[in-house]
Parts: sequence; C-alpha cells; structure tokens
Amino acid sequence: MNQRSTRFAATVLMVLPLYAIGDDTQPGSAASVFSFSGFGTVGETHSSETNADFTSSIFQPNGAGHTRSWSPTVDSLIGGQISARITPELSAVVQVIAQQNYDGTYRPHVEWANIKYQFTPDLSLRIGRVELPTFLFSDTRKVGYTLPWVRPPIEVYSLIPIATSDGADSSYRLILGDFINTTEGSYVQSNAIQPNNRGTALARNSINFSNTTEYKSLTFRVSYQHVRLTIAALDDFLDTFRLFGPQGIAIADKYDSDNKPVATEVVGASYDPGRWFVISEWGHARFNSFLGESTAWYASSGVRVWQLTPYVTYSRARAASNSDPGLSLTGLPPALAGFAAGLNAALNSILQQIPDQSTVSLGTRWDFAKSFDLKLQFDHTRIGADSDGILINLQPGFRPGGTVNVFSATVDFVF
Amino acid sequence: MQFIYRIASAVLACALSLNISVVRADVVAVVSSKSQITTLSKNQVIDIFLGKRTRFPDGSSAIPIDQAEGSAARDEFYTRLADMSPAQVKAFWARIIFTGRGQPPKTVATGLEAKRLLIADPNTIGYIDQSLVDSSVRVVLAP
Repeated sequence: MNQRSTRFAATVLMVLPLYAIGDDTQPGSAASVFSFSGFGTVGETHSSETNADFTSSIFQPNGAGHTRSWSPTVDSLIGGQISARITPELSAVVQVIAQQNYDGTYRPHVEWANIKYQFTPDLSLRIGRVELPTFLFSDTRKVGYTLPWVRPPIEVYSLIPIATSDGADSSYRLILGDFINTTEGSYVQSNAIQPNNRGTALARNSINFSNTTEYKSLTFRVSYQHVRLTIAALDDFLDTFRLFGPQGIAIADKYDSDNKPVATEVVGASYDPGRWFVISEWGHARFNSFLGESTAWYASSGVRVWQLTPYVTYSRARAASNSDPGLSLTGLPPALAGFAAGLNAALNSILQQIPDQSTVSLGTRWDFAKSFDLKLQFDHTRIGADSDGILINLQPGFRPGGTVNVFSATVDFVF
Repeated sequence: MQFIYRIASAVLACALSLNISVVRADVVAVVSSKSQITTLSKNQVIDIFLGKRTRFPDGSSAIPIDQAEGSAARDEFYTRLADMSPAQVKAFWARIIFTGRGQPPKTVATGLEAKRLLIADPNTIGYIDQSLVDSSVRVVLAP
C-alpha cells in the first residue's frame, strides 16, 4: 500500500471518532452518526488444470489447481466498514478487507477510505481512496452477496486489473421523467504490487469517465479510462534487445511499460425486471506494452425461482496478438543468432500470457437464509492455441491451448 | 376428455383463488394529507425507496420511511412494486453501502409507527396496509 494513502486512511479513522464524541451530547448521538457493516465470502474452488493455478485476481500469488486441488483462497475474504454521516452533506467511509495478499499473507488492507461532500442531492465529490467503477460490478466485486455469480466473469474483469485508487471523484445525477442519468468522473492513481516478482504496477494520471442511464428495469452504461502505466519488472529483459541496434530498440520500445498510455472503453447493459435478468458487458483495452491489446465480452442470464437463481454465462477474451517475429536472425553471426533466438522465444512466452479464452459457466445462487447466500458454479474454459489463458504459476508440464474445468462453492454474507 | 376439462378447471380455480388471496393483503403508498402530492407512479415510488430519487415530481424533498426487514408489509411492497424479493432488496442496498454511496431509509417496526412519522412530516412517504388509511394520510399509489 502507498504510504501516503495509508496515512490518509489512518487520519480518517482517527478524526472520525472525534466528531462522534463531539456529537454525543446532541440528540443525534454517535449511534446515528456511525454505522458499521460487514461482508464476507467463504469458498472452495477446484480446478482440473494441475500444472497452473486458477485465481480470481492477478494480485493473488496462488490458487486452485497446482498449489491446492481445492483452494479456499480464490474467493474467501472478510470485510468491515464504518460509515459516518458527519453532517447531512458531509460523510466518510473506511472499509478494510482481509484476503490473500500478493505475498500470501492475509494482512488486512484499506479498500475504501474517503470523505464525501454532497453539494446537492444529485452532485457529490469524494476525496480519498475509491474503487473505480470501470465495469458494472467492479466496485462491489468483492462483496459476493451483491453478485448474481460466484465472481464476475474473469475474461472481462481481468481485462484491466482493478486496484484500489487514490484521488478524487465526482458524481452527477440528472433525472428526466423516468430516465435517471448518472455521470461519474475521477482523477486517481494507484500502486499495485503484483505477486511472484512481477513487479509493481504504477498507474498515474488515471482519468476515468462513466455514464449510466437507467430507465425502469433497464440499465445502460459506457465508460472510458485513460492511464499512464509503468511496470518496470521486464525492463532489464527488454533492454537486452536494445543491444541489437534499431530493430532491437524498436521491439524494446514497443513492449516496455514505461509510462505507457493505456486506453480502455467499456459498454454494458442489464435488464432486470425482478423475476429474471440478462446482463452483458463488452470491453476493449490497449496497453501499448507487453500486456498487448485485448477485447472481451460476456452475456449472462438467470431466472429467480423461489429462493434459487440459476444462471448461465458465456464470456470470452481475445488477444489481438499472442506472438511477435522478434529479432531477424539473418546476417547475425551464429553465436549471436542463437542468443537472439533465445530472446525471441522468451518474448513470445511473455506474449503468450495475454489471455485468449472463452468460458461457459453454469451455476445457481440460493438465498437460503436472511443475509446469506450459497452459490455453486461450474466453469468450462477453452484456452486459445497460443495463449496461457488467465492462469498463473505455470509449471513445466503446462501446455497452451487446453481446456480447464473449475468448480466453485461459496457462501456469501452481509451484516 | 371431460375428465381433463374438469381437472383443468379445478387447477384454474385453485390458481385464481390463490391469486385473490395474494391481492387481498393491500399495501398502499401514502403521504401526509398535508402534503401537496396527490399521485405518484410505481416507478417514482420505487425510485424514492431505492434512493435513486430524492425529490417528488414537484421538486420538494422526498424522505422514504421503510418498514422493518421481515415484515409482511415490506415484503409485499417490494414484491408488488419491483418484483424484488427480500434478498434482492438486501443485495441492492449492499451495493450502495459498500461503495460508500449511501445508507438505506429509516425503518419502523409497524404500519402505525410509519403513519405517525408520515403525519409529522409532509416530506415523508411510506407504505401501510390499506386498513390503516384514514383522513390523516393520502394514498398516492395503490399498486
């Protein structure tokens, strides 16, 4: 976690009780200023691919398949939140989550910590730590109880790794008859440490815009994101290409992630009249680096019968390219040609990690008790011939282009 | 053939009587009789209760008074207006709460308590069983 933001969260945590104590003598009292709520998921996930791990987030170091046949770490987490309504206009929120971290620990981290000022009932400004609403379920993806599925379709939700961001965001709502239109904009930055020595992803000057239109049961949403992304982990490797003159320099410049512009466009819609729902989202991301360019979409539908909500989802991620011809070997002395061929192979193994896969999911949610649900989900994934798919911890026996079956059982709760 | 017809009409009769028994427990959306609001659409009422609208169509502020989780009136209100089960309402508010966007409306334990608050503040809107309606409140929607 970024030191400055830790300090900010700590300040919010320390200052809030002061307001509460100050207010205690008033009829409002601390009880109505503060509200505490929490959520969690307890789950087990099994993956049929034993030469790699299935995870729900790229920020987790291991998961189901290779590390454990049945893994509780993929979806299990617990979160707590204190919300404070200091005045009718001014409110604050701090949310802490404990889940598997990049380093395998379960040390809690601050997911949200911001102060919100409500200028009018329809216009607000927040400063502090927020989750970006890139996709329809991005900002509540960790609150399993809010989702129809075990987890949002990973093909789409891993298109842009979503991390907690620090900065300012604003929301404006416009109501015209039965149309409710909400525009959100933010300027943030984030530092996300990736597991398994893949380095820290530094996102700077992140500008985000989204517009949501609700008309009765219909929701339509577009969002756009532009960010400068730096991941230095591959710099030493790519710099080796620079030794081969102009063609090597061109390759290194193309694939390094040194303050590279990343643009993302997302379109989504949902129709939920109550007894059934259909949701679809489409996204495109261009990283201008070794992370490549990808397009992903999903469509999901479910029906609510009694306390059950069975659903089916199809999702797909396509990489613009999973390979590069690399350095031309013609004219190189034999010893150097062998070295260049090795570099080319290493580069292609990196590009192979850009996800190209499709998944059919079948599952059900069962609202078996107040504030609890149980979900069972089966995913059948086909990985593109040149791609490692969305898997981590690839073992020597792993081969691209296979199929993977994943089974998940989770219990979600809110309190 | 006659046999099949008899079974079909028996099933239909059962279904109709079931339907009638559901319709009979009538929850209506009400405001204080001192309020200027006379009528609201289903959509306007549900948007106010889900925090999507904070004002009545005339621009005055709208404060929803909800009933306690698990109460028959509450379950019927959300089922009738939005086809939402108690779990769907809970999940809806979890999305709002855990993104720091707000808190659910104030809740009261009974329809009588709801009525008491409604009468005290003309900006509030609530729902009560039709049998509780008297001259102190005005029905703005009978779903």
